[in-house]
Amino acid sequence: MEEKSLEGWAPDIRDAVTLAEAVDHAFDYRGDITVLLDDGCELIGYLFNRNRDAAEPFVQMFEREGSGPSSIPYARIRAIRFTGKDTAAGNSYAAWLRSKEAAKAASSPGA
Amino acid sequence: MSVPISQMWTVATYVLAQKIRKRQRYPLVLMLEPLFRCNLACAGCGKIQYPGHVLRKDLSVEQCLAAVDECGAPMVSIPGGEPLMYPEIGRLVRELVARRKYVYLCTNAILLKEKLEEGTFTPSKYLSFSVHVDGLREEHDETVCREGVFDQAVEGIREALRRGFRVTTNTTLFDGASAIRMQMFFDEMMDLGVEGMMLSPGYSYSKAPDQEHFLRRQKTNELFSKMLENPKKRWKFNQSPLFLQFLMGKQDFECTPWGNPTYNLFGWQRPCYLLQEGYAASFKELMETTHWEEYGRKSGNEKCQDCMVHCGHEPTAVNHTFTSWKGFRDTVAATVTGKL
Repeated sequence: MEEKSLEGWAPDIRDAVTLAEAVDHAFDYRGDITVLLDDGCELIGYLFNRNRDAAEPFVQMFEREGSGPSSIPYARIRAIRFTGKDTAAGNSYAAWLRSKEAAKAASSPGA
Repeated sequence: MSVPISQMWTVATYVLAQKIRKRQRYPLVLMLEPLFRCNLACAGCGKIQYPGHVLRKDLSVEQCLAAVDECGAPMVSIPGGEPLMYPEIGRLVRELVARRKYVYLCTNAILLKEKLEEGTFTPSKYLSFSVHVDGLREEHDETVCREGVFDQAVEGIREALRRGFRVTTNTTLFDGASAIRMQMFFDEMMDLGVEGMMLSPGYSYSKAPDQEHFLRRQKTNELFSKMLENPKKRWKFNQSPLFLQFLMGKQDFECTPWGNPTYNLFGWQRPCYLLQEGYAASFKELMETTHWEEYGRKSGNEKCQDCMVHCGHEPTAVNHTFTSWKGFRDTVAATVTGKL
């Protein structure tokens, strides 16, 4: 059983989901995201933490080019796009079983 | 049980000191993850699915030691990722041994022989290689999704033992495990000469590729009861006998999620080694601001209902030994008689 990946998703934060929901999805996502800030800048990287209980709620990211961790207040986030590859997607166990079965079939007599 | 006396004494005096100080929550084993990189991609593992730039990062030795000092736990387990891929693993272990921490270096052993030949490590009563082996050759290679890894692990174990190191094994059990084959595995590991074995049922990581083969609570009880009902005297387990009884359904323990706190590249992981619900900047913040009441079976948290993993329940078992006569009596009885 495999969850549907969010790879490529670009939620409309004003209408479809709240900012907090979008951040939660980004926190759970095992790929890079792109964050659009209030000054028009874009940050690309891995969002590894979020704290909604802080006096000023924030997220933390490691940026793709190697810097970080950097903290960004929720209040500065205008959009989040799920732009990086979802590294948790796929099914390596099934692939392993398939390759094993293929190898067994290939080595069996009459193959 | 195969835990050395000096280690048992260190843990016992530490736990009693916490009790005397009336410290309600205290750590027992720090799970220190200096990196997420691994040279395997096991089907049941949810620890390594990150973008490349995250996988290339390491904690510095100084960051690791600051975490160890702040936490204060008497034992440090170094999982990962694969810790033998950490460039400064030799220096990190030397520093931990100098601090008299009991170190369990959790490795798949693919690189173990090479590192031993390079002289990266020196034998010490404080250092144990905890080699990941999930059963006999066929089962282990299937779990790690690569042929030949069992043989590499055995080669690494032999080399470490030959050089005078402490070696234990750590085994995760999944649905479909055969009690008889596991008993054969225990024999094989003891024949190799390992100091002891550690067992735990797997946990269904939400990011692990294989979601279908994790043991549920009743199945866990049935499997461990079959495996351990009449344990051979020669089987040595490097863990609390009460925890093994819990896996067999003979003890009922709640989770102690703060017992094995986890520190990695992202900070102090909330609430435990298995769940990732956020990170704290310091151990103090982790302990003081995590909503602990939201975790464990009694909390009703769905993610905790089937979990019987060692990192949450072994600290409960150890605490039980030192806080009740029954716990102490059961531990002594199991240790002396070898019966679980």
